Amino acid sequence: MIIDVHAHWGPWFFTMEVADSTMATMDRYGIDRAIVSATEAVIYDAPAGNRALAAYLEAQDRLLGYVTVNPRRLREAEADLRAYLPGGRFVGVKIHTDYTGSPVASARLREALTLVAETGRPALVHTWGASVLDLAEVCLDIPGLRVIAGHMGADGFRHAIEAANACDRLYLEPCWSHAPAGRIAEVVAGVDPAQLLFGTDATLIDPSSAFGAVAAAGLSGPTAERIAWRNATALFRL
Amino acid sequence: MTGMAIEDGPETNGSATPFDAWRLVGELEVTLDVDVLFGAYPDRDGPPGTPGAVMETLAAHRVRAAAVANLRAALFDVRTGNDELLAMAARPGVVPVGAVDLRDPIGAARELERLASEGARAVRLFPDEQGVEAGFPSVRHVARRAARLGLVVLTGGDVRRFWQPFAGLGGSVVFLDTHFYHLGDFLVAAADEPGFHTSTRLLNSPDALETVAAELGADRLLYGSRAPHYEPLVPLLRLATSGLRPAEIAAVAGGNATRLLAETPRRPAL
Repeated sequence: MIIDVHAHWGPWFFTMEVADSTMATMDRYGIDRAIVSATEAVIYDAPAGNRALAAYLEAQDRLLGYVTVNPRRLREAEADLRAYLPGGRFVGVKIHTDYTGSPVASARLREALTLVAETGRPALVHTWGASVLDLAEVCLDIPGLRVIAGHMGADGFRHAIEAANACDRLYLEPCWSHAPAGRIAEVVAGVDPAQLLFGTDATLIDPSSAFGAVAAAGLSGPTAERIAWRNATALFRL
Repeated sequence: MTGMAIEDGPETNGSATPFDAWRLVGELEVTLDVDVLFGAYPDRDGPPGTPGAVMETLAAHRVRAAAVANLRAALFDVRTGNDELLAMAARPGVVPVGAVDLRDPIGAARELERLASEGARAVRLFPDEQGVEAGFPSVRHVARRAARLGLVVLTGGDVRRFWQPFAGLGGSVVFLDTHFYHLGDFLVAAADEPGFHTSTRLLNSPDALETVAAELGADRLLYGSRAPHYEPLVPLLRLATSGLRPAEIAAVAGGNATRLLAETPRRPAL
C-alpha cells in the first residue's frame, strides 16, 4: 500500500503532456491512492481549479483532493473550504508559497494557515531551503495546526530535520526532481518516524524520483510502511 | 469520512517493503554510465568518492562501466587529477574522462591536446563548480578545440545557456544537467545539432524520455547517474519504467554512450 500525499491533476506549462496521466503514473509504481491538487488552482485561479477538481473527483475512487488556497484571496479561500471539505472528497488544503507570492514567513500565509487550522484538516505547504524552519515557527504559533512541509525543504532537508524536531505537528514529504545521495536516509535517521510521509509531485515529477530515493534508503519494513501509508492514514483520517 | 477507508493491516517486520525498486527495474543493466565522479566536493557533505567505493556503488546498481572524471582535476589541479585517472584506464569498468579548467582557457587548450594524445575519448567541463558562465570566451575556446580534436564533450551547466558555445561546431556534446523544466529548449537546440545529446539524470517528468525519443530519437539519450553524489537508482528506475522500446532502453543504458565514445572521429593534435 502506498499513499501519495503530494500529487496533482491537470496540465503544466512545461514541455510535457501529462494532464491525463495521473492514474498511469500511479499504476507504474504501485501507488494505490493519491491526494491531488488541481494545477489550475495552484498556478493560476484557485476557485476555478478547485471547482474543476471537485467535478473530476466525483468519478475517481483512488483520488482525494486538496482544496487549494491562495493566501492573497482569503475570502475566496473561506468559501472554498466551506464548500468542499465537508463533502469528504477533499481531505486537506494546499498552499503554494511561490505561485501566490506568499512566503512562509509572511503575514498572509500565517492568516491562511490560521483559517486552515479551524477546519481541522492538514495543510500541504511548499517549502524550499530554510523556509521549512519558518513553517515550524508558524505551526508552533497556531494551536492545532498540522502542516506537511512539501519537498521537505528540497536542498534544505537538514533544515527540515530541525523543523520536524521543533514541532511535532509538522510532517515531511520528500518529493524533488533531484536525488542527492543519502538525503532520505539522513532525514529518516533524524526525525520521529511518525512525522514522515510519501509524496511524488506527480504529474509534474515522475514518481520514480521520490520512489527511487526512498527505496535507495533501504528502510526497514515498519518504517517503510509508516512512510508509505500508515502515517498518511492517521493524518488524513482515511 | 472519506468513503475510502484504509484497512489497518499488521505491520510487516521482515524485508518486505512497499518501495521495492528492484522489482520494477527488473533485469535492466547499465553498460555505460556517462556521469560518474571520483573524488569529493570540499564544499559539500557527501561521499568521499574513493575509486573503490564508487565502483562498489556502481556494481550494486548493475552499472557495469562508467565514464569517470576526477574532481581533483576539476577543482584543484588538472594535470595530476587527470593523470590519476588515466592511470586507471586498464581498470575494468573505468572509461577515463579528462577534465579541464575553464578558468584557465590557455591551459585548458593545452590539456585537451595532451588528453587527446594520451588516448582520451572525452573531456568533461565543470562550469558551475568553476564559476564559469556560458558566455565567457573560455567556453567557446574550449568547445572549438575539443571539436577540432574529436573529443566528446560532457558538460554540466544550464542547457538553455550552454548549448550556445557548442552550436555550429559539429562536435559531440552530452549535456549532463538537462532538467525536464528545460526540455523544450534542449529539443529545439538539438534539432539543429545532430551531435547534441543529453543525460537522463534530471529528465524525470512522466514523459521526458519518451518526448526526446519521439522528437529526436532515443539515440540522443544517455543514462547518467552522477554517482556517488546522486542516487543511481532514480534514473535507473525512470528508464526501466519508461515507455521506450526494449532496444531503445538498452541503447540509453549504455549502447548510445559506447557508440558515441567509440565512433566520434578522432583527429590528430595540432
